[in-house]
Amino acid sequence: MEPTYGKIASAKIHRKPNLGKIGKKALIVLGLAVLCFIFLFPIVWMVDNSFKDGDTISAQLGSIMTFLPPSFDISTWFVSYEKLFNSFDGFGRSILNSIIYCGVTILGVLLINSFAGYALARFKFPGNKAMTTIILILMIVPIETSVVPTYIILYYLGLLEEPMSVLGYLLPGFGSLFYTYMFRQYFLGMPIEIEEAARIDGCSRIGVFFKMILPLSKPVFATVAIFTFMGQWNEYIFAQLMFPNPAMQPLQVFLQLVNTNTPKDLGMIMASLTFSTIPIALVYIFAQKYIIEGVSFTGLK
Amino acid sequence: MRIGDITKTKSKGQYRLFGTEYSLRETIAGLSFLAPCFLLSVVFVFLPIAISLSYAFTDANMLRLDSVNFIGFDNFVRLFQDASIGKALTNTLIFVGCVIPLQFGTALGLALILNHIKRFNTFLRWAFFCPVMLSLAVTSMLWMNLLNPQEGLINALILALGGNPMMFLEDPDQAMGCIIFISAWQGAGYQMLILLSGLKNIPKDLYEAAEIDRASKWQQFLNVTLPGLKPTMVFVLITMIIGAFRICVQPMIMTDGGPLDSTLTMSLYIYKQGVEYRDVGYSSAIAMVYTVIIAAVSLTLRKVLGGDNEA
Repeated sequence: MEPTYGKIASAKIHRKPNLGKIGKKALIVLGLAVLCFIFLFPIVWMVDNSFKDGDTISAQLGSIMTFLPPSFDISTWFVSYEKLFNSFDGFGRSILNSIIYCGVTILGVLLINSFAGYALARFKFPGNKAMTTIILILMIVPIETSVVPTYIILYYLGLLEEPMSVLGYLLPGFGSLFYTYMFRQYFLGMPIEIEEAARIDGCSRIGVFFKMILPLSKPVFATVAIFTFMGQWNEYIFAQLMFPNPAMQPLQVFLQLVNTNTPKDLGMIMASLTFSTIPIALVYIFAQKYIIEGVSFTGLK
Repeated sequence: MRIGDITKTKSKGQYRLFGTEYSLRETIAGLSFLAPCFLLSVVFVFLPIAISLSYAFTDANMLRLDSVNFIGFDNFVRLFQDASIGKALTNTLIFVGCVIPLQFGTALGLALILNHIKRFNTFLRWAFFCPVMLSLAVTSMLWMNLLNPQEGLINALILALGGNPMMFLEDPDQAMGCIIFISAWQGAGYQMLILLSGLKNIPKDLYEAAEIDRASKWQQFLNVTLPGLKPTMVFVLITMIIGAFRICVQPMIMTDGGPLDSTLTMSLYIYKQGVEYRDVGYSSAIAMVYTVIIAAVSLTLRKVLGGDNEA
């Protein structure tokens, strides 16, 4: 705090109170306040109104009441949530689906891509360098345009019908060139001596990986896990193509069912949107450190 | 070269390929580590590209994938006569051209201001980051309801303030503007965070040195901040532009490309041709052309912006 006092004091000595500077500061504060409002009011309104019932929301829309907290009677707060879970049996199921799809994808992505990254970083075999180059080239190709061809491949593999479609939905997400490259870069930066020592002591390759590499590279595993979670949780296009049956749908797709339901119930819609944001918000809040680290890593790429 | 340093002991299982010595055991071990990822990549990365390339010259249809006929360049001829493609490409370019300055400008401005502000810093950072936590689907559905012309919050506010209600997503002239705003609203906080961490990485002594040289704040910004932030800005810009070219979910949920194709984007059109109209051949042809366009843009950007800090 002291340096601030020092600055103010010296400014007073050297210059007269500067109106332009105050004006500039006021402008910045005002600008920030306006921006803050624009960024926050839709979310605040969404959360706030998820605690009201649909009729109240419609009645309050034009007045300031719409931004005020719900009534003081706590028992009325969860009306829309109750209604949501009662009228859409599948809502809870779709949350579970999302969690399962995310969990399995994270496990698959971590295992498969760390193996591949390790192979590219530490093993000498024909084609190693060529493969790394190919990965770098292929990362430029946009993924979205491959939704239709991927669907066709799954058709030929027989992975479109109900129980198998889960496999068909998850498998394409496992092998990620980007994460493989990320693991490779990380492993390359690790000292090789401990691995050599372990090898001389008679540890197998796979033993070295699980006993030495894995514990030493927690940060990269955490970063990949979190990014995989965010990607999989938010995934929409492929899921709505793969799962016409609501019982199989992940949350993001199921939400559309609530959203387009007639008669429209704003309370229920806001409750579903709010509820579905809680898990991912928790991840952002608790994993902020890894997200920034991961982002700066991808920036270094 | 550190690859292969691990095996110092010479075993008898050695072989030579193109003048390099390899150990058979190590090759087998390495390839087994690589195998799962390699297999999946072949099936779900290479094969889709191959299918796109080959189906582009056929009349493949989702409903009868067993009978696929070669039709030469018909799909590409059709592509150049298709008015919707022109519309979709124009829409995508408008989206990219508007969302990048808006979103990047907001993110950069916020990062620069937040880098200086001490009070409320954490609150402000979280406030601007909040929309990032909403998924694209939730963002789209939320704004769809807010912008609903009859029973949406925004029109209710406009009415309360004495203005005229608008049609927003249902008006061909406003729909794309809404999607641009919503996308920037949702994404700016993320880029702000990246730019902020870039700003934090600029060494403090550079500013002190500039201070000693009596450089004004503006000169410091031009000669210290901008060059120091350049790698971060280049990275952010490139990923943003490529991402913007792929826009699909927002129009898919909010407008389905309408009204009057005013929000039809290239990615959405490729999806619609393949899935809704089941015309896999034509969809593949468009996808092929569009992939080339995006790859060209990506490479040009890397060249022009000098983001050549790859391994």
